[in-house]
Amino acid sequence: MHLDARRRILTDPWFLTGTALLGLLVCLAAAGPLLVPWDPHDISFIPLDPPSARHWLGINDGGMDIFAELLSGLRNTLIFGVTAASAGLVLGAVTGLFAAWKGGWTDQILMRLADIVLAVPSVMILILLAAFLRPPPWVLALTLAALTWPTTARGVRAQALTLKHRLHIQAARHMGGSAGYIIFRHLLPELFPLYLINFAAKLRMAVFMEASLAFLGLFDPSQKSLGLMISFALKYYYMDIWVNWLIPPVLLLSFLIMGATFVTISLERVFDPRLKTAL
Amino acid sequence: MQSPARHTWLTLVMAYLAAALILAFLSHSLPRMLPGDFVTAMYGSSDVTLDAQQEAELRAYFQDDSGFAGFLGRLLRLDWGYSYTFLAPVSTLFFDALPWTLVLMGTAHLLSSLLGFVLGVEAAWRRGTRTEKAGVGIMTVLEGIPELCSGALLLLVFALHLGWFPAAGAQTAYADHTFVQQTADRLHHLALPLTTLILAYFPGNFLLARAGMVMVMKSPFVLTARAKGLPPVRVRYAHAARNALLPLVTRFGLRFAFMITGALVVETIFSYPGLGTLLFNAIAMRDLPLIQGIVLAASVMVLGVNLALEYVYTLLDPRVAHAS
Repeated sequence: MHLDARRRILTDPWFLTGTALLGLLVCLAAAGPLLVPWDPHDISFIPLDPPSARHWLGINDGGMDIFAELLSGLRNTLIFGVTAASAGLVLGAVTGLFAAWKGGWTDQILMRLADIVLAVPSVMILILLAAFLRPPPWVLALTLAALTWPTTARGVRAQALTLKHRLHIQAARHMGGSAGYIIFRHLLPELFPLYLINFAAKLRMAVFMEASLAFLGLFDPSQKSLGLMISFALKYYYMDIWVNWLIPPVLLLSFLIMGATFVTISLERVFDPRLKTAL
Repeated sequence: MQSPARHTWLTLVMAYLAAALILAFLSHSLPRMLPGDFVTAMYGSSDVTLDAQQEAELRAYFQDDSGFAGFLGRLLRLDWGYSYTFLAPVSTLFFDALPWTLVLMGTAHLLSSLLGFVLGVEAAWRRGTRTEKAGVGIMTVLEGIPELCSGALLLLVFALHLGWFPAAGAQTAYADHTFVQQTADRLHHLALPLTTLILAYFPGNFLLARAGMVMVMKSPFVLTARAKGLPPVRVRYAHAARNALLPLVTRFGLRFAFMITGALVVETIFSYPGLGTLLFNAIAMRDLPLIQGIVLAASVMVLGVNLALEYVYTLLDPRVAHAS
């Protein structure tokens, strides 16, 4: 069944497009310092200078090279997304597996906690934290993770509960395997596709949040971000400079979220047994 | 044993109450974790210097020593503090901005849910045709474009280059309009932000409704309904589609975080005078009491909507009430 799913996912055009987009953007972000010789914080250029051979996307109102800003912003947005998504995934998966394996009171308490956290609107907490304490982005990324783990925990728990009673898990248990051994050696690897779906969905959520909150002015303004660039560029939208200042971050952000969306949707179609027929 | 229905209800309401308390507690305690207090946060980085008496007066006004219970009491009495950039009570500002946001978000939700549901059901019914495949493709692409980007593009194209719609505001200021003219003017201003939000909400609704409907159409009862010779529209809506409604409602809570954030951004892009723009201005001016008030009141509204949806869900799907 897994082999079949793997073949199906690797031939799904949406999955391929999504991974290609994400891969391209990650390469662009990683190769940033090699592509532009300028420092994104260097303010020594002529403000609002149009694109030229030296400055591919021109200069912004503060005298900074827009292309350098763009790549730096893309990198920060990606780092935020990956941090929040992986932390949320790990937290959710471990909680879900633990709850499913222990059962009883542990399960009850953890799932009620999940209900509470799920009810809290995560944006509001992030806005409060960012406005009052102005923490560095990684703190906000981890906060987002701490608010989004319950979705993963619920999904993982539900799948793990059905796995728990399978023969090989029972065998491992009768052999005398400890909880940790069974959780990490057996349950954890078997739910692999679920992690992929959750990671992609969380990445999408986190990138969207980062861009929107930066746009609203909640992030450290010295930290480049695609959302912050859009916010500054929108102030000059009536000038011709929107072509090289506003459009690039808008496109990159759209491609980033599109990539994550395509991957999430195609993975859900292939791996979610209930959605499988809806392909 | 207790009846399962009451048990789930109790835990649900408790979860929402706990969430509300956590939020209230956070917004109560965060200002206390600041280095200094509201007054130093306000004037610490400004050029205004305060003499000792002024500082003491401000402290006395902004510092609240009544503890968490007193804070909750003031929240309930709508005494949310005083905005120092707008020089008005926070609750007044909040309730002035609220109607605009409700109109914008309410219309966007209504239209995109209805459209998404009907088109999703129709798409599933016509599964495999070229139109349906193209529709699903377009919707998947649209689902990947955030409001921040579609809003900026719509602003550029329709407000700046074509000039069809106003770029900012919710109505023409100081215009001497009759009621009909005023309504038309407001709709004209609403068009772009509304389109942006519909573009953001509609694809998700469409894809969910379609996926749900495709699954439901496999069930034997749909075959029975068709075999009975019922007209297709009746099979589709009276029999199948009401079951396809469920995933739309279940996923709503998960998508709500996206929706709120998106609405804040869209209002800011189009300078629509709702809560999003108010929050944006509050953030830009670092007006902490105002940020605190908006966030808390908006959170309570979000919690209320989600709880109401949970209730709607049990009405739509009686199985939920029995399974626990």
